[in-house]
Amino acid sequence: MVLISIEDLAKSYGRVVAVDGLSLEVEEGSIMGLIGPNGAGKTTTIKILLGILKPDRGRVEVFGQDPWDNPDIRSRIGVIYERANFPPHHRALDYLERVCRVFGSPELRARDILTMVGLEEAFDRPIKGLSAGMLQRFAIAHALLHEPELVVADEPTSNLDPEARGELLDLILRLHRDEKVTFLISSHILPELSRVCESVAIINQGKVWASGRFTELCERFGVGTTRVSTDKPGELAKVIRGLGYVTRVEVDARGVSVNTAQRGSERLYEDVLELAREVEARILGIESETASLEELFRLAVKSGREGGA
Amino acid sequence: MLKTGKGRPFLEIFALSLNEDYRFPILEVYAFLYTLSTFVFARLGGLGGLGSGEAIAFNLVNSLTVLPVFILVILILKNIAYGVGSDLEKGVIQTLFSYPLKRRLILTAKLLSALGVALLLFLGIQVFSLFILAPDIVVPYMGTVFLTYAAVLSYPLLVAGLVLILTLFLKRGSTSLVFGIVLYFVSGILTSLMTFIAHATRSNLLLKAFAILNPSLVLIQHYLSERALTLEPWAPSFSEVLLYIGGCYAIVASVFIVGYVYFERRLGL
Repeated sequence: MVLISIEDLAKSYGRVVAVDGLSLEVEEGSIMGLIGPNGAGKTTTIKILLGILKPDRGRVEVFGQDPWDNPDIRSRIGVIYERANFPPHHRALDYLERVCRVFGSPELRARDILTMVGLEEAFDRPIKGLSAGMLQRFAIAHALLHEPELVVADEPTSNLDPEARGELLDLILRLHRDEKVTFLISSHILPELSRVCESVAIINQGKVWASGRFTELCERFGVGTTRVSTDKPGELAKVIRGLGYVTRVEVDARGVSVNTAQRGSERLYEDVLELAREVEARILGIESETASLEELFRLAVKSGREGGA
Repeated sequence: MLKTGKGRPFLEIFALSLNEDYRFPILEVYAFLYTLSTFVFARLGGLGGLGSGEAIAFNLVNSLTVLPVFILVILILKNIAYGVGSDLEKGVIQTLFSYPLKRRLILTAKLLSALGVALLLFLGIQVFSLFILAPDIVVPYMGTVFLTYAAVLSYPLLVAGLVLILTLFLKRGSTSLVFGIVLYFVSGILTSLMTFIAHATRSNLLLKAFAILNPSLVLIQHYLSERALTLEPWAPSFSEVLLYIGGCYAIVASVFIVGYVYFERRLGL
């Protein structure tokens, strides 16, 4: 089921075009990353799908509804803004208890969730007295308070120290695994996104230049390949093609290039060694060329420019 | 998915706004200033020479409101410009927009706190003071008392509405606060100017037109026409007074409706 559907979205601020014909879909139960340079249109897209900005053109549906001024949708979404802002004079716990009452959640959840994000010492501290990192943790607690089905996060790890970043990514993975929460995460810190995201949309100049599952993109741009050097490339390629998870095999005089349907090559290494024994091929070397998200981004932008995107 | 009615989120946002608008000691200081200025400016002497009981009641109320209305205007403009304005500027409104409540209800909660509570405080202290100071004047002429308050408050409410629109449009409070204070004082300057023109041209036309924005002038002419501002006789009837006050409140309502429509349909953050 598609939770977020964006079609031909456009938004300008005066003469500055922020989003220009952007289309995107986010499946229920997925973790999708939005990547792109500053000014690519990520935040504008997020604001439009949260219903706080009106598009100039295009169709946006969240849970099958128009998000503009739609309280039903808001009760199902948790939002983490890049620069979180809350009424400054409230105490942290008091404010979250109030938000629990707004959403109809039990007030006790406020205490639990603040503890979960490591803010148990800040219960009675005014929000304006929280440090940037604490405020970001507070924003994360605030977004998860009402057990949303979808969490939209705009640069959620900014202001967090490395340890807290790791904890947040673990939390995202845990919520996704245990509670089946869908995430749409915008970030420019690509290694973090590649750790949690199953699929990414590469945005540049207000358009999606490439989107899909990480492995599909690796395949499309010809990266993420395992290179097997052998003395019998033809025979080895034939048996490797029989492996269910292999998506592409190319043979040349010195070896075989293999793409797989799953990230990582642990299984491939073992299987290739076993298959090589079967066909009595000598393995001269196995080299993994897994693509980084940075590389994918670079290739998508390059391919988009060449294709006139 | 958790479900909650509309009432609870609205009350929570209202309570949130109250907490921010009237942090200690703002409410206490304003209540003290209201009370002090009400009693200090009460003009009880010489009221007997004004003729009718209604004129006396009008003059008493008018004298009581001079400084408290100014304090009220400052409080309201501060609440709108810094309450709504700084929420827009700092992004707190974005957070409020993530709650399951329609935009118009969020604005209503904020305005109830910024305007409603300030007005309630003002009227509560004023009416209470009137009953202490001159119960024999107030009780028989309650209609006149409330009509005077309606006239006196109409212009500040108009200024508040314009400040709201400007705040929403600019998404910041400081400029609109200055604009509001200037606009409030402009009324006094314009009144003097219109009176001067009325004297110079021997015509009340401009003064009458201006009175639609500030119907206190019409009340003054109605109750105190012999001592009033102009050379050309202008003694508006009671129905004319009601028409002017009603007209002014229609303009005030239109200004707030424009603010609501903009907030609900156009305001992007």
